Amino acid sequence: MELFLYTALFSPLVGSLFAALFGASKKTKMAGIIPSALLGLSLISSFVLLVSVLSSGETVHVEMMTWMATGDLYIPFGFVVDQVSVTMMMVVTLVSTVVHVYAIGYMDHDKGFNRFFSYLSAFVFSMMVLVMSDNFAGLFIGWEGVGLCSWLLIGFWYHKESATWAANEAFIMNRIADLGMLIGIFLVYWNTGTLQYEQAFAIMPSLEIDVLTWMGIFLFIGAMGKSAQFPLHTWLADAMEGPTPVSALIHAATMVTAGVYLVVRANPLYDLIPSVGLFIASLGAFVALFAASMALVNRDMKRVIAYSTLSQLGYMFAAAGLGAYWVALFHLMAHAFFKALLFLGAGNVMHAMHDELDPFKMGGLNKVMKGTFVMMTIASVALAGIFPLAGFFSKDLILEVAFVENHYIIYSVLLFTAGLTAFYSFRLVALIFHGEERYKLFGIHPHEAYKFMLVAMSPLLLLAIIAGSFKMTYFEMVTKLLPATEYHVHSSLTYWIMTIGTQLFVAFAIVYAYKKYTSRDIKVPDGTSKLENCFCYKLLINQYYIPRFYEDYIVKSYRELSEIFWTKIDQKIVDATVDGIANIFYQTGERTRVMQSGNLSTMLKWMVAGTVTLLSLAVAFGLAARYSGEIKIFLSGLGV
Amino acid sequence: MLDHILSILIFFPALAAVLGFAVNKNSIRSYGVAVATIEFVLALWLWFAFDSSVSGMQFMEHIPLVKAFGINYIVGVDGISLFIIILAAFFTMIGIASLGETKDIKNMIVTLLFLQMTMVGVFAALDAIVFYLFWELSLVPMLYIIGAWGGPLRIYASVKFFLYTFTGSLVMLVGMLFMAYFYYQATGEWSFAILDWYRLILPETFQKWLFVAFFFGFAIKVPMFPFHTWLPYAHGQAPTIGSVILAAILLKMGTYAFIRFSLPLFPDASVYFMYPIAVLAIIMIIYTAMVAYAQKDIKQVVAYSSVSHMGVIILGIFALNVEGITGSIFLMIAHGVVSGALFFLVGVIYDRRHTKYMSEFGGLASVMPRYATIFGIMLMASVGLPLTINFVGEFLSLLGFYKQSHTLTLLAGMAIIVGAIYMLSAYKKMFFGVVTKDENRNLPDVNKRELVALIPLTIITIWLGIYPKVLLEPINTSVEAVVGLMHEKSLTQEAKSRIPNLTKDAEVITNSAENTVENSTENSAEEAH
Repeated sequence: MELFLYTALFSPLVGSLFAALFGASKKTKMAGIIPSALLGLSLISSFVLLVSVLSSGETVHVEMMTWMATGDLYIPFGFVVDQVSVTMMMVVTLVSTVVHVYAIGYMDHDKGFNRFFSYLSAFVFSMMVLVMSDNFAGLFIGWEGVGLCSWLLIGFWYHKESATWAANEAFIMNRIADLGMLIGIFLVYWNTGTLQYEQAFAIMPSLEIDVLTWMGIFLFIGAMGKSAQFPLHTWLADAMEGPTPVSALIHAATMVTAGVYLVVRANPLYDLIPSVGLFIASLGAFVALFAASMALVNRDMKRVIAYSTLSQLGYMFAAAGLGAYWVALFHLMAHAFFKALLFLGAGNVMHAMHDELDPFKMGGLNKVMKGTFVMMTIASVALAGIFPLAGFFSKDLILEVAFVENHYIIYSVLLFTAGLTAFYSFRLVALIFHGEERYKLFGIHPHEAYKFMLVAMSPLLLLAIIAGSFKMTYFEMVTKLLPATEYHVHSSLTYWIMTIGTQLFVAFAIVYAYKKYTSRDIKVPDGTSKLENCFCYKLLINQYYIPRFYEDYIVKSYRELSEIFWTKIDQKIVDATVDGIANIFYQTGERTRVMQSGNLSTMLKWMVAGTVTLLSLAVAFGLAARYSGEIKIFLSGLGV
Repeated sequence: MLDHILSILIFFPALAAVLGFAVNKNSIRSYGVAVATIEFVLALWLWFAFDSSVSGMQFMEHIPLVKAFGINYIVGVDGISLFIIILAAFFTMIGIASLGETKDIKNMIVTLLFLQMTMVGVFAALDAIVFYLFWELSLVPMLYIIGAWGGPLRIYASVKFFLYTFTGSLVMLVGMLFMAYFYYQATGEWSFAILDWYRLILPETFQKWLFVAFFFGFAIKVPMFPFHTWLPYAHGQAPTIGSVILAAILLKMGTYAFIRFSLPLFPDASVYFMYPIAVLAIIMIIYTAMVAYAQKDIKQVVAYSSVSHMGVIILGIFALNVEGITGSIFLMIAHGVVSGALFFLVGVIYDRRHTKYMSEFGGLASVMPRYATIFGIMLMASVGLPLTINFVGEFLSLLGFYKQSHTLTLLAGMAIIVGAIYMLSAYKKMFFGVVTKDENRNLPDVNKRELVALIPLTIITIWLGIYPKVLLEPINTSVEAVVGLMHEKSLTQEAKSRIPNLTKDAEVITNSAENTVENSTENSAEEAH
């Protein structure tokens, strides 16, 4: 089994290095095919591990070598394949393989083809390290590694100012959260004496609740950055500057879910501090609603899907915060499938529309892009949570959790958000694929993507449809590690009312969106309509003015403060003081030079002055020596 | 030969430097490379022969100089100094090998070799007077390098560098004289040997005064806020090779001396001054990082980033536990490698464009992809990404200090944020975007001579990031000895509790083991009844 573990972990790295060999040379198909094949190998190994964990329930734990060891600290490169990590491995390798194959077509005309695959495979490797590590430090390696790859890939088209800006924003925001994570790790180390999950979690129940609370808070701050939770959420929408396969893999299916994974992994800790858990759940519910509201009006196809991702991450945190870790992980898995599918579909549309992102400029594309149309519609149905697709099983479960745990506010927020989700998803589908063919106004001739790209997407399509049927197998597997709470609404009547009510509500939202956005009156908005001038619309389209607030009050003041520190404090105060002191000596020398003028009478005068000084000093010391006893007594009286 | 390897390491470059004057100008480059390579091989041999399970000094040599005052030529290495010596030899080697077109190249190489003698001397010296001699001598070649090969403001910069550090060192010298005098009072004999001084337990007030005296010398060298203003001038005016050596090795003298002198000699004072120094370190980290962000000149960005990173090293030292001090020593090496490499990289672009203003560049990633890649790796090392060399040091330093203060570590941890801000924005300005200036359109990528320096540095950056154990093990052994000594020597209750007692755990374990043995024998005896 160890062999499979190492194959699963390291073949993406080999693929990345292979592609990097061609980094500076001309585009070659090999640089895309070999990493994809290696990822396939990784997928197969993960699958073998999954089967073995499923059948025997045994986990694989290896320690490759020592990383850091000093004092009492001992950190190995250790990897574990257990029920949780094998789930994550399957999600990561599966979506990555699909995205890699897809990207061979998508990046076909790009000059940086080889470089792209090098970065993308490096990302998969980092993500595998993140989910497979058996300790917090290893997790942190992966954590920062995915951050680096995200930076490289968001800023992949580095000649674009907006792309590099977004890349830096993402990296720095994540760094802010990483500080929290690092402090969390320090707390774990100094209180438990180890960073290995197993030992640390075993000691935690014996610690004071205060310490545990701080631990939970700081680790969660780390999770907030990667999973883009409020107030560190702005980077995710801007990260859509990267190529679309990147958005599908990193900013929808895998990296952004790392925060959820952390909370799930640290479940023994969060179980001990339910108050922090409640905070996480509340924040999750808030973010779900908050992000969904911004998706309602946005006119950038990819940003809408990004906000939808954000909103779904909110759902996951809501579940994890309420202690339903397996539910959170299940939604993470289902979401990865249909959201990646949605993004890849959006990539096809973008290609067809020559990188046009405004859905208002599309319309009627279902005639030319049948395959993409079907896939995106099914993905949206799954996202909306309609029976029997994947989203129904995972999202409805979260609503039930909130209901059963008696958190009715969270429940109603999440229920309402489910309606919004359905609305904005189908607003997008309707605008892109139905109604008038508005793109003709812009002289675009759309075409369907390559066949093999659609074939590559099909596994995701399949999983978006059937993932729900794995629920029981999955439940039995992960609950060997995670708390096995089943969430059942007690009375079956309530259950049916809830389920059917939710379905009807969501269906209504879908129908409403269709009706509203397939009508023939849809025009490309030009900023004159009544809706566009109302306050709510402006608030939402400007993302609640939060990015502008950050820019005006934080970024700008940081820049100004830096400028002041440099020009005013460093140069005018600190350095000027040093030069001033030096100047005193210099000036003293300059001034006293006149003493040595060579003029006999002046020099005689100074000689006399010198003699007088010396003599008076002699007298003073003589007296001091005579009365030394008295002086000592006097001084001791003063306390010297 | 192994018995005298340290003396050979110190004086071989100096001897070669003197002979270098006689070497023909055309062959001086290969002569310099040959000498530096031999020196580096000798340094590697030292590492190979070094026994990493021994915590004390190894390869010690002892030659009396002035018997009446206890001044001896004593040299030796332990895990703390070993790797800095190797690093010094390494940087001199790749520095000479990758030296670009320089006027008076002969003088430059001779100066560098002489500088190497002083650097190795400082880190090997175990007698305060010998230490002081090398410490001050190291100023001379650097003064000459900045003053003779520097930019337009070179005279001002070199004089400022010299006088500023020299003033601090004089205060330190007074401290050393007093230390020796106290030793004389306590034992009736004069001695400047550091290992003798280690045995001396001073009253707390004496410790504080002496700590302050030494502090001036070390803090200016590091340089610590607010004594750092000589550094931007020195870096700004120095030629590439000068900046590289200054950042990689010379700054480490200050932090090394804190560990060699301040901590073991004055444990109580170290605890007493821990918080004020930590606050200074945090100002260094955040304030200079912000100043770095405001810079327009890429070399100044790297210069200020140096100060910021040195803040983390200082913090690690004053964590006063094994994790922190080991981390800070590792970070000294790491920072040497990374900031040295960054100064090399700045030199690459300066050679091509004769400007260091970032606004003059932009879009270089498409013109010079290899350069952009290496710069990118070093950038990531500088911001402390895991699996690069810097992360190990930063992580351990901060981890160590967390034991002493939670809030201050949280503030110091801002290093990972502010560091990313100035480095990423500098990288964006230089490498991203489209090429706007015509001069940049046809810049040649890094050439072979430059790669001689950059590739080994890149390899080290990643290798030691993944496998830091080779360094951490010997460092750890020696640091444990220092911490143990500090705990033993400390007088106040505060210091005893702040500095961990390493032997206690061991005793408890042996005690409990004995108990269990006794119990089990009793049990078995009872069972026999």
